[in-house]
Amino acid sequence: MSSGAISGPARAGGGRDIPAPAARWRDYLGENGVQKWVFYIPVVFFLLFFAAPMALTVVWSVFERTQFWMEPGFTLFAYDNFFSSARAENYLFSMLHGAASVVIAFAIGFPIAVFIRRRVTRVAQHRVILLFILPFMISELVRVFAMRPVLGRHGIVNSLLMELGVISEPITVILYSPLGVIIGDVMSFLPFMIFAGFLALEAVQNYIFEVCDDLGTGRVRLFTHIILPLAAPGIFAGSVFIFVNSLGVALVPTLLGGPGAVNAGLIANQAIVALDFPLAMAISTIMIVTLVALLYIGHRLFDLTKVLEPIS
Amino acid sequence: MYDDFANPWNIRLKWLYLLGVVFALLMPVFYTIYISFNQHGFGARIYDFTFDWYRVVLGDTLLVVSLKWTVYLALAAIAATIPMALLSAKFYKRTRRKVAFVALMLSPLFVPADIMGSALLVFFKNLAIGFVWLDEALGVYWFDGWFDLGFLTALIGQVIYVHPYAFIVILITMSRYRVQQTEAARGCGATAWQAFWQVEFPQIRVGVFSSCAFVTILSFNEAVRTALLKGGFDTFSNVLVAQMLNIGMSGESYAMAGIMSIVSMLVIGSVIVFTLLRTERLERRARAMAEPVMSS
Repeated sequence: MSSGAISGPARAGGGRDIPAPAARWRDYLGENGVQKWVFYIPVVFFLLFFAAPMALTVVWSVFERTQFWMEPGFTLFAYDNFFSSARAENYLFSMLHGAASVVIAFAIGFPIAVFIRRRVTRVAQHRVILLFILPFMISELVRVFAMRPVLGRHGIVNSLLMELGVISEPITVILYSPLGVIIGDVMSFLPFMIFAGFLALEAVQNYIFEVCDDLGTGRVRLFTHIILPLAAPGIFAGSVFIFVNSLGVALVPTLLGGPGAVNAGLIANQAIVALDFPLAMAISTIMIVTLVALLYIGHRLFDLTKVLEPIS
Repeated sequence: MYDDFANPWNIRLKWLYLLGVVFALLMPVFYTIYISFNQHGFGARIYDFTFDWYRVVLGDTLLVVSLKWTVYLALAAIAATIPMALLSAKFYKRTRRKVAFVALMLSPLFVPADIMGSALLVFFKNLAIGFVWLDEALGVYWFDGWFDLGFLTALIGQVIYVHPYAFIVILITMSRYRVQQTEAARGCGATAWQAFWQVEFPQIRVGVFSSCAFVTILSFNEAVRTALLKGGFDTFSNVLVAQMLNIGMSGESYAMAGIMSIVSMLVIGSVIVFTLLRTERLERRARAMAEPVMSS
């Protein structure tokens, strides 16, 4: 940034001479002093209250458990406790549910992102995207809770299907079951797939599609050879978001999964309620390692910074 | 080669699908609101419109107090997050380590609420223990109660959660701002603050206000991190979660869910309508300026 017309502390204030202590203070508070460091506040805040706690979960996970807390030491008991119990199996199951949610969200959401980018006029594109902001901004708690009267035995879906004569008995598999959890995850996180897909496609110049149209490229080839590779960073970012939240948001299995339904977030919560802090930290560590590994692989494969190109 | 517009039904069906998905996402919420106005609650064959459930909620002292805490927390979250999001966006523009910076700022989006909440809970408890130890070592009471679970810790948890959204919204608005304008202002003798406040801010004001709206809603809706970090007070979402798990789907729960949805829709709806009207006005002005001036 240009330093402007004001060149030095002694001449600050439009050229008037300033007493030395005042000039020193101005210098100290000026653009090369405190003001310069103000911009580092968010970095320091996030390093202290986000990166440090996340990194320290690894350290706390090997601490010794005491009756109400934990004490410094080195033991892999929490990990042993996790991997040798049903928790590991539950974690794998929740990964499976997460993967299913990603596939369904992609199948439903990505065609919408493509449609908005390709078939809606440039001016109207952001307005259409705004339609998906509204459901996303309503509390996830309310959205998940609201699925109960919709999917329940006497809910809208069953009532409607029975009214139409499609079924004679209410379908019970869509609530308080693994399918209920997947439906809840998809309904909760679907807009993110649309946003991320659209953001990635927004960086693709129109002439690329025009060239394909001029060459008479078929729909399938256009999708698999052009759209999919170009939108890959956005699809991947959206997929990781949905997958990790399916694994970690305890609300969905708690409200829609019924008895026995768990995911990593719920296991961590249960460990905290049981005052087993090292176990809770071990689960957090496993989640964070999963997340970092996925993001690293994604970044190496697709360069995730491309998702941010339209806004940088 | 194919042409979507050759058959009008092709494009209509795609619009229908898009609107169907929006409807499917919103329908459960509207259905919850619909039930909240039924005297007989969910599952009843008769529907008698009533505000009774809302009267019960707003007449409950515990819920009103929780609503107050929610408002205080949202206001504090705005006060802390928006300036920080502005600083982050400006830092992003000037830093050369964009990837590392953006990774740090946006990572909280990818960490599930329960995991982040658990990590912060243990972090704050350790910090509190550390400060007690420091007090004892120094023989003073200066650090007594620092980072004990309470309003401050809940606020920090919320700021970490809402900051990425505010940062993205402000960054999008800033991407349309030309840095040469700041340089011109500086060239004319303005200080960095004057250049920001008088030249840049008026152009990114919409993004800043939208961020305020987003932060309000996200803070109002946040439940998990706050439940773990709040200490001795309750927010509206926390009471709702407790009610859902302990009492189940009562008329009161539907009314609480209704209040949360209506508040969110009103705030976000206003932002969307305001944004659309503003875009429309700017486009009209741009079109008018682009038209050639006819000499008489």
